[in-house]
Amino acid sequence: MRKYAVIYRSVFLENLQYTMNIALGLISYFIFIFVFINLWGYLYAEPGTRIAGYTREQMIWYVMITEMLWFGARSGAVAGQVSADIRGGNIAYLMNKPYHYTLYILARYTGEWSIRLPMYMALAVAAGIMMVGKLPGFGLPALLSSAVSILLGVTINGVFKICISLLSFWIEDANPFQWLYDKLILIVGTVFPIEIFPEAMRPFLKMTPIYTVCYGPAKLAVDFRMDQYLDILLAQFLYLAAGCGLMFFIYEKGVKKLYVNGG
Amino acid sequence: MNVIEAENLSKTFRVKQKEKGMKGSIRAVFKPKTEEIKAVNGVSFAVEEGEALAFIGPNGAGKSTTIKMLTGILYPDGGRVQVLGIDPTKKRKQLAYQIGTVFGQKEQLWTHLTPYDNFQFFGAIYDIPDRETEKRIGELTEIFELSAFLNTPVRNLSLGQRIRCEIAASLIHRPKVLFLDEPTIGLDPVVKENIRFLIRQMNREFHTTIFLTSHDIGDIEKLCRRVIIVNSGQIVLDDSMEHLKFADASLEDIIMRVYREKGKEEPAL
Repeated sequence: MRKYAVIYRSVFLENLQYTMNIALGLISYFIFIFVFINLWGYLYAEPGTRIAGYTREQMIWYVMITEMLWFGARSGAVAGQVSADIRGGNIAYLMNKPYHYTLYILARYTGEWSIRLPMYMALAVAAGIMMVGKLPGFGLPALLSSAVSILLGVTINGVFKICISLLSFWIEDANPFQWLYDKLILIVGTVFPIEIFPEAMRPFLKMTPIYTVCYGPAKLAVDFRMDQYLDILLAQFLYLAAGCGLMFFIYEKGVKKLYVNGG
Repeated sequence: MNVIEAENLSKTFRVKQKEKGMKGSIRAVFKPKTEEIKAVNGVSFAVEEGEALAFIGPNGAGKSTTIKMLTGILYPDGGRVQVLGIDPTKKRKQLAYQIGTVFGQKEQLWTHLTPYDNFQFFGAIYDIPDRETEKRIGELTEIFELSAFLNTPVRNLSLGQRIRCEIAASLIHRPKVLFLDEPTIGLDPVVKENIRFLIRQMNREFHTTIFLTSHDIGDIEKLCRRVIIVNSGQIVLDDSMEHLKFADASLEDIIMRVYREKGKEEPAL
């Protein structure tokens, strides 16, 4: 583990130099949540309204948290870098070190989001308190459970994005698949909670990464219940185990097909 | 004792072929064509412990592909390979602890970190205790004369300084075999000479086995006691340096001469 901690530390130090660039990305996040605050404000015009079981404050905080996760977990390491490493042959120079390439990338990804996500979190909390008000019922259990769930959710997201990028061993460009995954998370996962969708669609949505990557952490923050926490935690552990298994499997299969330009 | 053993090593690549122009591009979408290229074709050789071997040949001869198979990066299609008694395809990670690699055309150091931080980083990657890493950094700094720029970010170093750091970093875990793929490419004659001196010193002092590919005759003459020449994925000559007398300075001339002496068809270079 020490070697991955060292990789994480090196990437963290590298990314500290780019905090201004990350700060510029906060503008688009702010515009995004500003639009949604007003949109949901309009839909919740009548006091006491609940939509799919969510109060106005819960709904807006839900969207702010899921959007925060989406923006904060954006990473060049798990998407562009893996594909570029495979296509350009740079992977050859990373494979001959005594670490597992996929865990090396995961450590890099963690080094990236652990700077980016807290910055988005600070903005989300400040904007939320000023524009929506405190989240009713938010206490220590919700804070701790959502923190654990965010950590697991962001890691699951990274593992699945690496799996998609590893398809570059077989196809010219994995970016269209990354695009589909991102849009699934962004449009279906971050804008509406699962309860908004028709009853028949919910079991399907719970099978997708949406449930473990964004719904789970945000739901626990806005409406903490112990039974739900255990359900989400179990789903996240299962997803992480299956995702890691898939990641190692694709990598081991793909690496045998590696063709390095120039030998 | 042999540290490297390759027996009938082969590697074939499938390379996409596309006809020229728009028509060819559209046809390639519906009817993709591939061509098989035998990069390495039945190569067999052995390298003894402490030996300094030059593995040379023209571009596309199969040198880098062979190095990548020896280091476990590429999977051979046929044949057998063992490095330090380990099959690189099966135990790449285990082998990585015992070998070092320097690719002259590829940066392996983290450019935003200083050489010192890089050495610390590689020390941790190779599971070396901090105190031991510190000791080895001191040794390497002295041997490679790095003290003047040990705390300068790598991106600010000259090419010669960077290559010295690259080689030093590849030695932090004291590898038994060092693979050098064109380590002096792009360096000026003075720096080249320094690098050669350091590699020679390392070979003598630590008894490190050197496996070198280079297009530079100086590298080969001054560093190696044995030469293997490959062309079109096959070994065309395997001999000691004493038997080879170089009068010309270009690699092409050497290969032509070897071909003439062996009575084989001359390659198109």
